[in-house]
Amino acid sequence: MNAGAQLAQAPPARTPDGGWLGTVMHAHPLLRALVSVVLAFVITAGLILLADKNPLVAYVHLFQGAFGSWDRIVVGLNKSTPYLLCAVGIALCFRGRVINIGAEGQIAIGGVCASAVALFATGLSPWWLLPLAMLAGALGGAAWAGLAAVIHVRRGVHEVLVTLLLNFIALLVVAEVLHGRMGEEGAGFPQSPLFDPTAWLPKLMPGTELHIGIALAVIAAVGMHWVLWRTTLGFRWRLLGASKPAARYAGVSAGLGVFGLMATAGGLAGLAGGIECLGVHYRLIEGFSAGFGFNAVAIALMGALNPLYVLPAALFFGFLETGALAMQRQVGVPSSLVLVIQGLTMVFVLCAIGRSGGDKV
Amino acid sequence: MDLPFFLDFLAAALRIATPLLLAALGGILSERAGTFAVSLEGQMLCGAFCAIVVTHTMASVGLGLLASAGGGMLLASVVAVATVRFRTEHMVTGLAANILALGLTSFLMRALAGTGSVSTIRVPLLQAWPVPWLSDLPLVGTLLFQQPVLTYLGVLSIVPLSVFLFRTRAGLTLRAVGENPQAAFAAGTDPDRVRMAAIIAGGALAGLAGAVLSLQQVGTFTDGMTAGRGFLALAAIIVGRWMPVGTLVACLVFGAAEALSLRVQAFNLPVSSYVIQMLPYLAALAVLAGLGRTARLPAAIGQPFVRP
Repeated sequence: MNAGAQLAQAPPARTPDGGWLGTVMHAHPLLRALVSVVLAFVITAGLILLADKNPLVAYVHLFQGAFGSWDRIVVGLNKSTPYLLCAVGIALCFRGRVINIGAEGQIAIGGVCASAVALFATGLSPWWLLPLAMLAGALGGAAWAGLAAVIHVRRGVHEVLVTLLLNFIALLVVAEVLHGRMGEEGAGFPQSPLFDPTAWLPKLMPGTELHIGIALAVIAAVGMHWVLWRTTLGFRWRLLGASKPAARYAGVSAGLGVFGLMATAGGLAGLAGGIECLGVHYRLIEGFSAGFGFNAVAIALMGALNPLYVLPAALFFGFLETGALAMQRQVGVPSSLVLVIQGLTMVFVLCAIGRSGGDKV
Repeated sequence: MDLPFFLDFLAAALRIATPLLLAALGGILSERAGTFAVSLEGQMLCGAFCAIVVTHTMASVGLGLLASAGGGMLLASVVAVATVRFRTEHMVTGLAANILALGLTSFLMRALAGTGSVSTIRVPLLQAWPVPWLSDLPLVGTLLFQQPVLTYLGVLSIVPLSVFLFRTRAGLTLRAVGENPQAAFAAGTDPDRVRMAAIIAGGALAGLAGAVLSLQQVGTFTDGMTAGRGFLALAAIIVGRWMPVGTLVACLVFGAAEALSLRVQAFNLPVSSYVIQMLPYLAALAVLAGLGRTARLPAAIGQPFVRP
């Protein structure tokens, strides 16, 4: 019933416990995230030892793989883009006590919609085509999330279950369109034909692979920070998270609020899906959304549900992933280690939040 | 549709429902005591992994089954410590545990397989075990009594679980902790301990559910092989109103949806196989939405117990 309350609610006055570590964990959300990451890395080092590899060597390669050259940094920035967009939306939802974990499905549907524009609206100039494709992606994601919100609000089904089940359906929708009208014949892999170059996202820095997505994502994060703290809409969302009865007394409709939050988060995730397809792959590929949704939840938590703090958290995860792939190639340590680091970090951050009785909002 | 085909379809529904059912029964224990069981998916994955690895290295299915229960309990204890001792939010903690399980099993599988490919770790599937006498019965025999061993275990475990929950003092205590931990505390129990025990015991069942997948249905371990079954089990608990028998029915419905999706593909229908694969998820959504607000959660679920 009160799911999510703890994530967003003002804490009861209670002194932090747990010794020096407890004190550190309550100092600042970013310090807390940092300590959690370090703890996760230490535990993971044990796993690397178990696999008969040297953790220090592995971590050095991880760092080099993430920051070793301009190319690597660009890959990391591109990787962080969908994380940032999705995590900002999830942070908003969690603030309003809506546990939206459907980012994966919303990315997938956003990617399908944006790719449909890129494939079928040929002949338009890029000035029209690209904004149209991005808009289609955002609207697709928003509609998918809105559907979840409607089922949740009208029928009282828990939003975690609705968004989870819709994730699986969305992935099958991608498979369906790729084996149908949008698929490339004889490709051997479920993917669409390559988009016309007019439908490729422009590069931020000419000569590199860095596309304008990261700029869009940063603008979105700053914009959402402004909406959350400086507008009536943001105030309503925070009020919903702080106290449903108070919100009702103030004339804020919980149903509309949930719908607005979900649609906003879905729009951001859908935009991320469009950016992945038009900026990275230049086509729709099966599985392009894999893993983004759940990792974005971890990022939102690390960023203390604050759109501005989510930015460093998203960059960290983006670089962690590119570094891990390099580590797998160089040292032979499986890159699934990243998931272990992410899971552990999440658990530690959650424990720190739980012990302090919730974050101040 | 002729009769043998229909019987085969029902038997398949029962087989597919088995892992869902075992996981859901574990989830009932956890949720009746007041903790959302979102980590069922991860617990199943741990169970599936341990079952394969131990069965492969020890060449013993019995030890493999034990290990699967242990694997599920291990992840469940992480969740138990976090949610009960550190009072973390249940839903997101469950998700974190799922991510952790996905990473750990995938990493360890590769580390164990060494440089070789993961598929080298493979065990023979558990075969169907026809019950003597009963399996010769017409109709019912083929449907109910020619199943693999773990399917019998899953269906039969409903009885002891129902008796425990609704006919024993310990079961009453467990439900009391989920409904009103303050009252249970006043009556002299420690709600935190009951909750931790319930989560971990549930983990054993969910681990076994993973063993059904890996030992009885696939024969090896692949990354993320549970593929959302833990979440379907979660839906089945709600549809079954936190009652073991109701949950069995819900699992059978989801199992039938999947069995149907496997069979319809042979019919050359004008819909593609991907649309048909959506059936179990659509069925779960439809039933949940149909039930609407009538589903009554255990009153104190999701709320940490704070000593008065």
